[in-house]
Amino acid sequence: MFSTTIRQMLAHKLRLVLTTASIALGVAFLAGTLVLTDTMGLAFEQLFGKVSSGTDAVVRAEAPYTASDGVGTSRGPIPASALAAVKATDGVRAAEGTVTGYALLTDTKGKAVLTSGGAPTQGYSMPSDEKLRGDVELMSGTAPDSADEVAIDATSAEEHHIKLGSSIKVLFSGPTREFTVVGTVGFGGEKNLGGTTSAYFDTATAQQVLGTPGQFDSIAVSADQGVSQAELAENLSAVVPDGLEAVTGKTVAQESSDAIKKDLKIVGIMFMIFAGIALFVGSFIIWNTFTMIVTQRSREIALLRAVGSTRRQIMRSLLLEALLLGTAASAVGVALGVGVAKGLKTLMDAVGFSLPSTSLQLEPRTIWVSLLVGTAVTVVAALVPARRATKVLPVEALRESTPGAEKPSIRRAVIGVALTGAGTTVMLFTLYGGLAKAFFGPGLLAVMVGVMVSLPFAVRPLAAMIGKPLSWRGLPGELAKQNAMRNPRRTSSTAAALMIGLTLVVSMGVFASSLKHSFGDVISDQTSADLFVTTASAQGAGYSPSVIGAVEDAPGVEQVSASSWGEAHFLGAGSSYSAIDPATAGKVMNLEVSKGSLAALGRDGVVVSRSAATQHKWDIGSIVNAEFPATGQHRLHVVGVYDGKGWIGDNYVISLDEQKAFAGQQLVTSALVTLAAGADKGEVEQAIATALADHPDARVQDQKEFEKTASGSIDSLLQFVTMMLLLAVLIALLGIVNTLALSVFERTRELGLLRAVGMTKSQVRAMVRWESVVISLIGALSGAALGIGIGLAMSQALKDEGIKAISIPVPQVTMYVVLAAVAGVIAAIGPARSASRVDVLRAVVTD
Amino acid sequence: MTVTTTRPQAATATAARAEGLSKFYGVDEAAVWALDNVSVGLQEGQFTAIMGPSGSGKSTLLHMLAGLDRPSSGEVFLGDVELSSLNDKQLTMLRRDRIGFIFQSFNLLPTMTAAENIVLPLRIAGRKPDEHWVASIVETVGLSGRLGHRPAQLSGGQQQRVAAARALASKPEIVFADEPTGALDSSSSAELLGFLRNAVTELGQTVVMVTHDPTAASYADRVIFLADGQIVDEMHTPTADQVLDYMKRLGA
Ligand SMILES: Nc1ncnc2c1ncn2[C@@H]1O[C@H](COP(=O)(O)OP(=O)(O)OP(=O)(O)O)[C@@H](O)[C@H]1O
Ligand SMILES: [Mg+2]
Repeated sequence: MFSTTIRQMLAHKLRLVLTTASIALGVAFLAGTLVLTDTMGLAFEQLFGKVSSGTDAVVRAEAPYTASDGVGTSRGPIPASALAAVKATDGVRAAEGTVTGYALLTDTKGKAVLTSGGAPTQGYSMPSDEKLRGDVELMSGTAPDSADEVAIDATSAEEHHIKLGSSIKVLFSGPTREFTVVGTVGFGGEKNLGGTTSAYFDTATAQQVLGTPGQFDSIAVSADQGVSQAELAENLSAVVPDGLEAVTGKTVAQESSDAIKKDLKIVGIMFMIFAGIALFVGSFIIWNTFTMIVTQRSREIALLRAVGSTRRQIMRSLLLEALLLGTAASAVGVALGVGVAKGLKTLMDAVGFSLPSTSLQLEPRTIWVSLLVGTAVTVVAALVPARRATKVLPVEALRESTPGAEKPSIRRAVIGVALTGAGTTVMLFTLYGGLAKAFFGPGLLAVMVGVMVSLPFAVRPLAAMIGKPLSWRGLPGELAKQNAMRNPRRTSSTAAALMIGLTLVVSMGVFASSLKHSFGDVISDQTSADLFVTTASAQGAGYSPSVIGAVEDAPGVEQVSASSWGEAHFLGAGSSYSAIDPATAGKVMNLEVSKGSLAALGRDGVVVSRSAATQHKWDIGSIVNAEFPATGQHRLHVVGVYDGKGWIGDNYVISLDEQKAFAGQQLVTSALVTLAAGADKGEVEQAIATALADHPDARVQDQKEFEKTASGSIDSLLQFVTMMLLLAVLIALLGIVNTLALSVFERTRELGLLRAVGMTKSQVRAMVRWESVVISLIGALSGAALGIGIGLAMSQALKDEGIKAISIPVPQVTMYVVLAAVAGVIAAIGPARSASRVDVLRAVVTD
Repeated sequence: MTVTTTRPQAATATAARAEGLSKFYGVDEAAVWALDNVSVGLQEGQFTAIMGPSGSGKSTLLHMLAGLDRPSSGEVFLGDVELSSLNDKQLTMLRRDRIGFIFQSFNLLPTMTAAENIVLPLRIAGRKPDEHWVASIVETVGLSGRLGHRPAQLSGGQQQRVAAARALASKPEIVFADEPTGALDSSSSAELLGFLRNAVTELGQTVVMVTHDPTAASYADRVIFLADGQIVDEMHTPTADQVLDYMKRLGA
């Protein structure tokens, strides 16, 4: 039995290659994702281990919880006076205060050294004790030791041609200052700290420019010889004043790497979803292949049954085949996975997530998970066809049957229509009928499954419709249409693979397009600003508050309303908040405040969104408990309720002053500018731009430019997602090649007959090509239709979150459909060639 | 060569002819000479049957004459066109426009109705079928009620009649048939053969048919006998008994 199985697999090499590829690609993506996340995790672990390697203990302010904020700290400051007590503690060899904060480097021409992907630009105090520097090491020059000296990271120095001794400006939350570059810094051999930029100052200078004189963010402590980290931390805990804590260096490194890993996990999950989609699509091809194997072998199977093979034996042999195929394909996939990991990393670099690198990590877990998943998917996909094989009756051995059209069953139609209908109803009710939003996802899933189940019924009408213009192409076109229709189940499962890919790509496109349009609407409806001051790079986290003063001073500016953003715990759960300027916001933002007002925010007020107010039954005067890592608990009073999410999408809005008090000085994310009466917009924009020459972290834009920037970031995200989904589309195309190749094989006699009675080779090729186009278009059109529906539904579902406009990117969707047709032509090249090479006599000679 | 002719045919133009035609399969010692230096002319407006023991090369000869396969050596002419001078496309179009085929089985496309199958070569050529002509063929073949059926819904005899109608629909210069009645019972055979005979007599069609069946051969004007890849004899306006006798001798 085993050797028969292997022989049969080898007999159809093309089929073997295609089915292997379809599973291997999905597995490769899965393995690649695992390899990449393991590698990144390890790289960050090494990095944080290195950076804090010389620090045995850290004294810092207590915080209710640890919030990660890039490489920076979100804890409150500690008084510099605590240092003396720390230094005097038993077991302390050296201790120094550290300060960290926003510091944006500029190059020698004054241009900002911007990071991609919103990586932080940070300034640090450089310990004078070598050991406390950990693996932060000088690669050239000297450490800064006066108020006008700075050492910068080697990558920034190299890429922006900043030489030692040159003079550069550095931007801070406070005023910009000029420094002489005295050294470049590396990190344990690496020149790059996760795509961030770093500036190092001596401690006193750091306190001035990054923090507050007389305060540190924390104290780094190095132990005496023979004193363990735990002992040291214990000793320190006994002496530090109330409100401070002492923890081991290991703990801090662990916290940092945990925080980063949490972010990485999201990236990992995202890639995992794409891998899952690819595998799902691949399973259709396996399903198809095994269905065809069963059909082709039904005579042989019937014969085996007639001579006494049990159903179980038949099933076992097919599943064995699936098992072998799955394992082999998964093994190929794992091997490819390492390459995929490299590719993904390059891609991440390209979109701006520069990651520290270490050699690629192929953990045993990656291997067995990938093998297991790939094999399981293959076997499961082969299960239904294998079961069908057991139903082949012994008498069928005697029947001369042309492999052909099995009519899809009525039961299938009922299930498909019921699922689609129920799913649509549920979705409509969640959107418009007040059903809980949680039902939206299941509804969506039901629709997708329903459409997939009923697709075979749509094959005939769709093929007839798509094939209409084909009649133009004469008989080959007509036959192509008929061939595509003759086995609706096969055509539909081939097309379904493409449909899934297209559904996802198109729904993302529609969603992104709605998002862009909504953003445009929000800008014009919810703000009355004439100009916008935004971050210089689209993904920048924010800019220095000192920018606001500079803009206010520009001639022709009436008012500048800054806003910021952050995260804190509200009611014990993490949530984002916006911070605004209560004095000016009311005039430039239309948040549709239905109760109370923004101006009433004061020192402990909060304006909440309508949805949060409804959910928690809040009214003016209700208490909202908020907790910030830097300052702990705050009881906020509701002073307003706003209805119009959009420009602001957070449930909680506080004032900038409150933010500064609760969380410390933060960067400004944007500012709305209005013009003085009679001022010319162009002139004012020019004036602000001039004023911003010294603040290269910010730029001024008018409404159009601002919209364009925002669409630009949505577009690049969309491109990234689309590229990932293209893998699924690629696998679907392999499926089309597979189906065509098998159809050509099955139809050898017919092709021979057609050739005998006068069909030329090019006509035969055209016939196969058009069949391929019909199949691809069935997938593409149903995918586009479903994708548009789902995209619109998703947009509608987020209406309350500010996605008020809906928009279908018609040219884009059209392009996808056209591309699918072209891909169909390409997929047909091989099968068309083999069809045209069919021996004419094959039809004539009766065997 | 024993010539058992009863009446020599008046000399007419040849529709197709082979000169020094040979075909072998395989290489060196394993080579099989399916046809060995065969020369034959097929008269226009005649019904020619090709007979011979199994493996004697009948099908091979027919395939060469019909441009379905290329000879190892020798020449085949259809009218005055020498087939080996044609490339694949020209040869294909020649089959399409100038030759009709009836095979033993699997003559029809399963996805098309009888009517569609009949006009298949015309549709391939992108030509409009001559409605009257097709109608008259359908009438004679007796398929009028079955035109909308697909091959799977037709009996073997009906399928062969559809094939015959297709072979004639494009008004070819010559119709080749390889054991067209091989899978039919005697009454279905008789119907099909009568139809072919009719096409020759009344429409002046040229028909060449390979058959094993002496009764089928008796419908022909001329029978060519093949043995071991060579033409060994021929017979004009034969009866079934004459053919049977000869075949017995040939087989012996
Ligand atoms: N493709 C091929 N490869 C090798 N040998 C072949 C091939 N086709 C035919 N032959 C051989 O050529 C010879 C003639 O075959 P052909 O099919 O022409 O015989 P036939 O007279 O039609 O026989 P039958 O009455 O059985 O159909 C036979 O010996 C056959 O084995
Ligand atoms: Mg034969």
